[in-house]
Amino acid sequence: MSLKAAASISIGDELAPRVKPIAQRQIDAYSGVRPKSIHTDVEWAKKKGFAAPLAQGLMSTAYVSQMMVDLLGEGFVKGGKINVSFIKPVLAGDTLTMHGAVRSKDAEGAHTRITVEFWCESQRGEKTLVGTASGLAA
Amino acid sequence: MVEFKTISYDVVQVGEEFKSDDFLIKPEDVETFAFAVDDHHPWYFDDSPYGGPIAHPALLANQALMMRHSRYIIPAGLHAKMQMEFVEPLRAGMRVRSYGKVIDKFEKRGRYYMVTEFATKDEESGAVLVCGQFTQMLFKGERHVA
Repeated sequence: MSLKAAASISIGDELAPRVKPIAQRQIDAYSGVRPKSIHTDVEWAKKKGFAAPLAQGLMSTAYVSQMMVDLLGEGFVKGGKINVSFIKPVLAGDTLTMHGAVRSKDAEGAHTRITVEFWCESQRGEKTLVGTASGLAA
Repeated sequence: MVEFKTISYDVVQVGEEFKSDDFLIKPEDVETFAFAVDDHHPWYFDDSPYGGPIAHPALLANQALMMRHSRYIIPAGLHAKMQMEFVEPLRAGMRVRSYGKVIDKFEKRGRYYMVTEFATKDEESGAVLVCGQFTQMLFKGERHVA
């Protein structure tokens, strides 16, 4: 496994934010279209009190994964971890901005585990996800 | 024959086990996921350090979450927390299945939750590919979906 050098990553480093506009078609592709779903049935979502269908919270974990693969490559694909809380709903048509900052570097066997704090904000300024992800560096 | 019940805090039992259907990861699944989350990294389509393309690490998260649907009708419920550990790279051509167990259920501030641990395995080799746990909010008692 070819790992990124831990020395090239510093505590406090901020990852470049990623902006994620979320279209209904993407939610449909992620969740699979079915009737009576708050994710893919507009009328059902409205009946349940939402202004629009909800994106699954899990979609945002894929954005975290994307940023960690960009940061650590193989050290995330094999040995990566995600630990997040979903704190506000995300609606179709929302635009999320994912933020990450390196919070710790800890020895793990022959490697160094890099832990990144993540938070995700909607265009309304609401945090929708908070948590951490980590992976291995050399 | 599965007798589907509507899931609720009262019905679900700690120690209860789930098993997903098996699922063959296909190239089109990787492409669909890439579109859904707008992640077109070349490792997923061309070559990767593992020799040939791999799939997004989080590709199978929904399979773990959907295990419960193999036994219950699931009214909309808030997904509160997710933990995942990526043990081995995923690849198109793998036939995978998720196994889960309810490890806790609790009430907090008038809301009800269940915690399920899971492992997603390569059905051919038995290797664990992804593992973790998730926390879902539940209704206290049975509610009708419609």
